[in-house]
Amino acid sequence: MSFYQTTDLHTNPIEVDPPSPRQSVRKNLDFEPLSTTALILEDRPANLPAKPAEEAQKHRQQYEEMVAQAKKRELKEAQKRRKQLEDRCKLEESIGNAAQTWNQEILPNWSAMCTSRRVRELWWQGVPPSVRGKVWSLAVGNELNITHELFNICLARAREKWKSMPTAPPTEPETEDASLSLADREASLELIKLDISRTFPHLCIFQQGGPYYDMLHSILGAYTCYRPDVGYVQGMSFIAAVLILNLDTPDAFIAFANLLNKPCQMAFFRVDHSLMLKYFAAFEVFFEENLPKLFVHFKENNLTPDIYLIDWIFTLYSKSLPLDLACRVWDVFCRDGDEFLFRVALGILRLYEDVLTRMDFIHNAQFLTRLPDHISPDQLFSHIHAVHMTSKNRKWGQQNDTDTSLFSDPVLHLTV
Amino acid sequence: MAYAYLFKYIIIGDTGVGKSCLLLQFTDKRFQPVHDLTIGVEFGARMITIDGKQIKLQIWDTAGQESFRSITRSYYRGAAGALLVYDITRRDTFNHLTTWLEDARQHSNSNMVIMLIGNKSDLESRREVKKEEGEAFAREHGLIFMETSAKTASNVEEAFINTAKEIYEKIQEGVFDINNEANGIKIGPQHATTNSTLSGSQGGQQAGGGCC
Repeated sequence: MSFYQTTDLHTNPIEVDPPSPRQSVRKNLDFEPLSTTALILEDRPANLPAKPAEEAQKHRQQYEEMVAQAKKRELKEAQKRRKQLEDRCKLEESIGNAAQTWNQEILPNWSAMCTSRRVRELWWQGVPPSVRGKVWSLAVGNELNITHELFNICLARAREKWKSMPTAPPTEPETEDASLSLADREASLELIKLDISRTFPHLCIFQQGGPYYDMLHSILGAYTCYRPDVGYVQGMSFIAAVLILNLDTPDAFIAFANLLNKPCQMAFFRVDHSLMLKYFAAFEVFFEENLPKLFVHFKENNLTPDIYLIDWIFTLYSKSLPLDLACRVWDVFCRDGDEFLFRVALGILRLYEDVLTRMDFIHNAQFLTRLPDHISPDQLFSHIHAVHMTSKNRKWGQQNDTDTSLFSDPVLHLTV
Repeated sequence: MAYAYLFKYIIIGDTGVGKSCLLLQFTDKRFQPVHDLTIGVEFGARMITIDGKQIKLQIWDTAGQESFRSITRSYYRGAAGALLVYDITRRDTFNHLTTWLEDARQHSNSNMVIMLIGNKSDLESRREVKKEEGEAFAREHGLIFMETSAKTASNVEEAFINTAKEIYEKIQEGVFDINNEANGIKIGPQHATTNSTLSGSQGGQQAGGGCC
């Protein structure tokens, strides 16, 4: 028996002469499996003695069995593909339907509908990408009353500063004045350039020459002029980038500034360490309540929440979760506020509780600061759903006052 | 895996000097031209051998931006070694070394070994800080010094391993109290208790393998 591997029947000179007996074999197949096109039953070349009839018969039988098996396998795969396609169509249809509902029913009646039970449920399932930007904008709001004009003024000011910036840092010893301006620059404009290239580098769209480079640059630059007291802080570039993917530049800026103005985000981006510690402490209350075993394990290993929460909260999960999943987290974050960020953290810990309980400090720290590439959105959301944000008579409290330093009990609110 | 000692390291220095790239080169032996921004802290671990002993390095790679200093400060606690990194192509990252050093000295234990690293030595044409300047700074402040390239891997192994050697020597000299975990050194899980049984079984193996 000889199986000649031929890639192309018609161009291979061997095929022309002598006439190939395989034609007759292949004609019997009404369904020709793809994987057998390179697997062809050949008779022995003419210069060799022919196979005995019995052997030839046996080989033909073996060959037919192989083809039949391949056919079965391919049929199965074709069915699987069809099922996948159907699922995908169903998903696309449901996204399409949801988008229609959002566009035609919810968005025009936003203030009346946004708190309704039906909308909240639809919201939990994820906002369709086509309306995501609009929903985020509406949900975040514009408490700061930022207009497109204000954005343009801030942007113009940032551009002025960029122009006056020396291209190379001074090499002579600095005077006190020079070092001040240097520090100022590091804190804002110079650093932005450095960081933009390190924001979602794998997407290759925010880097210099990429389609979103200028937009990201503009938003971060304008913000340093809008809030020089906060300036640019690492992590902001990820938030701005996610907004740019869903909104045009001025609206992305408005959402960006308002989002950062929320008490939790302000506490973090001002790196108000003592307030951050209060958030971590509050988080631990719910951690212990929801996952007592893992909580003890982390305590025993000195794994403090700052180790993983800082990255998660600063970038609103956009750096640590796959981008589509991060957007779903943002959806509900826009609905529920900072409480949801900490609820997601507990959801992640809950999802991986078994693995985490078995690992030591360094493996846990590595795992949590670099989460798996593939996380099932449905699984994660069902774990988030199972997390309850009440502990005894306490629940996560929203801080409504903008001056966070006035709070004596900032995060946990007593509800009796 | 069993180890004799565990040393905690912390990598510090201005943003963009290549801290995460040095760590990646040391733990994974690869270079990523555009590395993700580090927010907060990331981790690496690797086993090395010094004086025939397995030593596990637990490395804390910190965010470099000035604003994060208050967070980074809490990570010095319990570090036995620190890699203080600057970028030889950016003078300002060298100028900031003094403040980094002040921070490190103030928030760590006094025996912490500090290795000064001038990174990006492959970018000779863009050099802004002479090697002699790094050496002088290190001499003046009692640090070990090396120029490295996370890109070409030049001196990366040496930087991490020489720091460990220095710590190991300090243990041998009795400078570090290894029973105090605040010094950033932990004795391996099996090491202390099974030492005698281990050497016993090794002796047995040697006797059995005498034929070769």
